[in-house]
Amino acid sequence: MVSNNATCDGSLLSTDFQIAAKAFAEKWKKFNSDFPEWLWIDCSNRLGFAAHGVSDGYLSVQNVFFKVQSSLKEEHGECSSNDYEEPFDNATLVQSAGDDGHRYDFHIVYSFSYNVPVLYFRAHSCDGQLLNQDEIEKNLPTESAKVLTESKWTFITQQEHPYLNRPWYTLHPCGTSEWMKLLLANENSTAENRVEQYLISWFSVVGQVFGLKLPLDMVKSDG
Amino acid sequence: MSGERKGSILQFATFQSSVDEGFWHGLCSLKLNKLKTDESPISITGFYTLCSNPHVSSHLNLLAESLPTEPSDESPTAATHGNRNKCSVPGTLYNTNTYEGYQSLDKKSLLKAEGKKIWDDIRSGKVEEDSSVLLRFLIISFADLKRFHFDYSVAFPALALDPPATLVDLKPASEWFTAEEAESVSVCCNEWRKSSLTADVPFFLVCISSNSQATVRPLKDFKACQHEDFKILFAFYDPYHGPNNPGWPLRNYLAFIYARWNITKVPFLCYRENRGFADMGSSLVGEAIIEPSQAWQDETHVPQVIGWEVNSKKKVSRHIDLSTSMDPTRMVISAADLNLKLMRWRQLPSLNLNMLSSTKCLLLGAGTLGCQVARMLMAWGVRKITLVDNGKVAMSNPLRQSLYTFDDSVKGDKKAIAAAESLRKIFPAVEAEGIVMAIPMPGHPVPSKDERGVLDDCTRLCELIESHDAVFLLTDTRESRWLPTLLCANANKLTVTAALGFDSFMVMRHGSGPLSATDESKTEPVGSLSADVEKMSLSHNDSKPRLGCYFCNDVVAPVDSTTNRTLDQQCTVTRPGLAPIASALAVELFVGILHHPLRTSAEAEFGNSLDSGSGEQPLGILPHQIRGALSQFSQMILVGHSSNSCTACCPTVVAEYRKRGLDFVLQAINHPTYLEDLTGLTELMKSANTFELDWDDATDNDDDFVEI
Repeated sequence: MVSNNATCDGSLLSTDFQIAAKAFAEKWKKFNSDFPEWLWIDCSNRLGFAAHGVSDGYLSVQNVFFKVQSSLKEEHGECSSNDYEEPFDNATLVQSAGDDGHRYDFHIVYSFSYNVPVLYFRAHSCDGQLLNQDEIEKNLPTESAKVLTESKWTFITQQEHPYLNRPWYTLHPCGTSEWMKLLLANENSTAENRVEQYLISWFSVVGQVFGLKLPLDMVKSDG
Repeated sequence: MSGERKGSILQFATFQSSVDEGFWHGLCSLKLNKLKTDESPISITGFYTLCSNPHVSSHLNLLAESLPTEPSDESPTAATHGNRNKCSVPGTLYNTNTYEGYQSLDKKSLLKAEGKKIWDDIRSGKVEEDSSVLLRFLIISFADLKRFHFDYSVAFPALALDPPATLVDLKPASEWFTAEEAESVSVCCNEWRKSSLTADVPFFLVCISSNSQATVRPLKDFKACQHEDFKILFAFYDPYHGPNNPGWPLRNYLAFIYARWNITKVPFLCYRENRGFADMGSSLVGEAIIEPSQAWQDETHVPQVIGWEVNSKKKVSRHIDLSTSMDPTRMVISAADLNLKLMRWRQLPSLNLNMLSSTKCLLLGAGTLGCQVARMLMAWGVRKITLVDNGKVAMSNPLRQSLYTFDDSVKGDKKAIAAAESLRKIFPAVEAEGIVMAIPMPGHPVPSKDERGVLDDCTRLCELIESHDAVFLLTDTRESRWLPTLLCANANKLTVTAALGFDSFMVMRHGSGPLSATDESKTEPVGSLSADVEKMSLSHNDSKPRLGCYFCNDVVAPVDSTTNRTLDQQCTVTRPGLAPIASALAVELFVGILHHPLRTSAEAEFGNSLDSGSGEQPLGILPHQIRGALSQFSQMILVGHSSNSCTACCPTVVAEYRKRGLDFVLQAINHPTYLEDLTGLTELMKSANTFELDWDDATDNDDDFVEI
């Protein structure tokens, strides 16, 4: 199943993507139980691929909750003055504005142009208002902001999501195979092992942009 | 808050909605393609799941699949049944055609009408079959399809008990149950959640037998359970996370339990999970006491309904702006920028995209060259383009002139206008302008009645050149380039010329102007050079000469080149591939000049001879002229310095123009030999005749001082 040359040049074969995705999701579930699970979204029927026995799809994790400092919170919505007023009701709990977090959806999608995984993501406040790039960058850990300005490979751009056909933000994949090659060079493991380890190594770098650090146990190849 | 003290009013944590961008995408296309102006209510489906994170409540989600695929489709929910993380909830959407319509909707009566539906379902017993109708919701909206702004309000209608229910006790399920009961409840709830038949049924009964064994039953089994010796808990999927209150679904649940079964002491279980499994620590158990109400016995009575969702500012109406992800114009801009940014990030870190997008380019001529140059400029991120042309789109044009279509030629539109329009169609963010205007030409004498118009054109051209940063000379005759060349030399503008022969082309940049823009008295070319150039040439006695313009290498003044010519000589008949090649080179040259620190004063560079110099510029060398011949598939880099006898850019001509202005221009137009006399070309030609020199013919009027 696993091809011999996979990952030697830092790229991942499309046929190995699902294997790597499965390994990643399983390990993630084992070591990151505080986070929602990664789910494989099967899109095999999208382009009639199923007929050729090629599985097509992506990994998805939804509603990852990030607490936001209240100073960064922005109230969207201009409200007209003649707004309807809900009558007072003493059986309704008056909630302090407690739920002020942002929700992130992450998708790991295979790029057939670059032969590497690509992280697509979007962020929204709890009412569904999407965050724009500036707001997202403000949310990121300070180290990431620095990385984003200095590094050539982790810049955020808006791209059409290949499966949803709506614009999502993405970390551009043009440098991925280069640094993945460096990352995988140190591993003297079998090709199969390398495919299974691929997304874990990849996410250990990419996830840091969002302050998502992988537990060390997960990164260890024999875990 | 409440809950700790006995007998306090039972307060419910409000349900919260979360409308996904996909819902609005879907609504837009539904509105455009199917509903059109139809404002009738639409049945939609909301999705919710119970709280699965001890710190965050879950929401009622409206997604793309919440909308019906067909307006006639009565049950859009069918496909999603059985998903434990997406319990389907029926809802109604009122989408209005106008903002005013949205505002004037009667929220109170709409809410009441939805509440009545719930009440009727309770009365009829439908709830026992499909408990999700207790969670029925309502959304009203106005979708601004042009701006991609959405105004909306969501309501979760709740039938208010009057007086409100009180709470006897509320504590974590793990404390309420014995360890054995808790274990058994967890097991059977997990099973309930695992089965695709029941996973998305949000209301159910937990029956605990005297030997601490729990079973989970659907609502319709209530009567049966009653006869057995069970402790019955009314359980529901609670979206709320807090430890002191039950979530909103319990409200209508209590109303149902009281109205249907006349129970006034209701033990309930707020069922919550963690990591996908029952969590007795965060689940709550309590007992609600309902005061019997006489009015509720009356068949026709409908309880008071409340439930409009308010935001943190206590406002019901919400506003959402999705233009960044839905407006195609904004999306194409970000996509276009991406391509250029990629170049910058990878190959050309010093690429100055802001400079490119802010540089105003004036294109004189909107033919094969003009069209192609405009497209190339847009590809490089130039956003401000003005095209000047006098002609109409002819039938033969669309094939070679890439901005025109057959329709333009049928309508006979003016080229400048059609080209600008076409640029905007290709890329809506371009600031393109078309100006219909003839360029006054030497050798085309002006009758006195037309003098005024020609002088106006001169003034206008002068203003256009002044107000732009870069000028491209792309007309098809030599003489039409004379006045622009002079004006550019006078204003010291970045100027690029492209000219075509049948199978040869020439692309060049003009050197800087001979006179500084402010100092009119100086006529010596040396004094006009920029300070930078002077510094660079300290080692020489003389400053390095200026680079030449299109006319610097000619020994004749421009004359009428079209009269008395056959058609193939008049039109620029060229090999079709030539214009795109020359245009592309012209734009690349332009980008090179913009990125050179000395701009127009930059020396001519060659591939091999100036290794040290060329290595510094990320875009490579900056040549003066590029000449190519398609017949040989060859290209040459040349340099030609400015001539002191040039009819367009020499200090004498520019100074004369500054002194006499339009009078001088008019004289040059009407008397071609005037320029030759003024610049000393007449003298030069007399002396040249003593040599046997073979001056090239008129297609290019070329021949240069090749310096290599």
